[in-house]
Amino acid sequence: MNSESKLRQQEQELHAEESGQQQAAKEFTSTEELLRHDAAQIEVPRAVAERLNESLANEPKPAKSWWQRFVSGD
Amino acid sequence: MLGEPVEKATIPPLEWNCPEFGAIYEAHSQCIYYLALRLMGDPAQAQDATHDVFLKAYRKMGTFRGESGIRTWLYRITINHCQNLNQSWNKRNMFSNADEVVWETAVGPSENPLRVLEVKELGERIQKTLDCLSEEYRMLLLLVADERLSYEEVGELTQQTADAVRGKLHRARKAFATAFSKFS
Repeated sequence: MNSESKLRQQEQELHAEESGQQQAAKEFTSTEELLRHDAAQIEVPRAVAERLNESLANEPKPAKSWWQRFVSGD
Repeated sequence: MLGEPVEKATIPPLEWNCPEFGAIYEAHSQCIYYLALRLMGDPAQAQDATHDVFLKAYRKMGTFRGESGIRTWLYRITINHCQNLNQSWNKRNMFSNADEVVWETAVGPSENPLRVLEVKELGERIQKTLDCLSEEYRMLLLLVADERLSYEEVGELTQQTADAVRGKLHRARKAFATAFSKFS
């Protein structure tokens, strides 16, 4: 590889690096927006739902809440 | 192999023992888990808390009177649960009220303090920032970030008026932005 093509390759790498940094940069207009973005990245592990479902299987049926009673007409 | 798309195994939906309650979990578990995670700062504790909160809600379903929305009710259980688990919160806070004033009044950088260059480590940085704030500020910011809660509901959850929420929120945002810029 001659020196000219080496230089071109270095320039391309630098450009790719810079554009990568630009993509990573993000500007939030408020704390709430930042927190909402953060929350959207987080998923509840499925293990929690599975564990809860197992726990519910061992629970007696709960009393009906006011709205369930209202809907069923009890 | 690196660089090749990994085909995700399809996970079948969970068959709930109580489908009605399963629907409540599906609709609200994300916001409950997020609140618990950011209040306690530990994913394992947040998972336990989410499980326990929904189990408590299931047991107390008969006492839910519908005076508030179900999400607000679940938030209240979560806040009580996390506070019980972490009674030493106030002692563990890094900054006293006097220090908080410093966060609020410190001259911030001229550019937007909420500009982030590295999104992938954002969660860690947000956690560190929240850990610097008082419990009240942390709670207010996290609850107000949920667009489905009104200021009145946030006030109800934090035992103050909606006007007090508005006033404190302004200072909480400022404290957050100042602390956040220090963790860049």
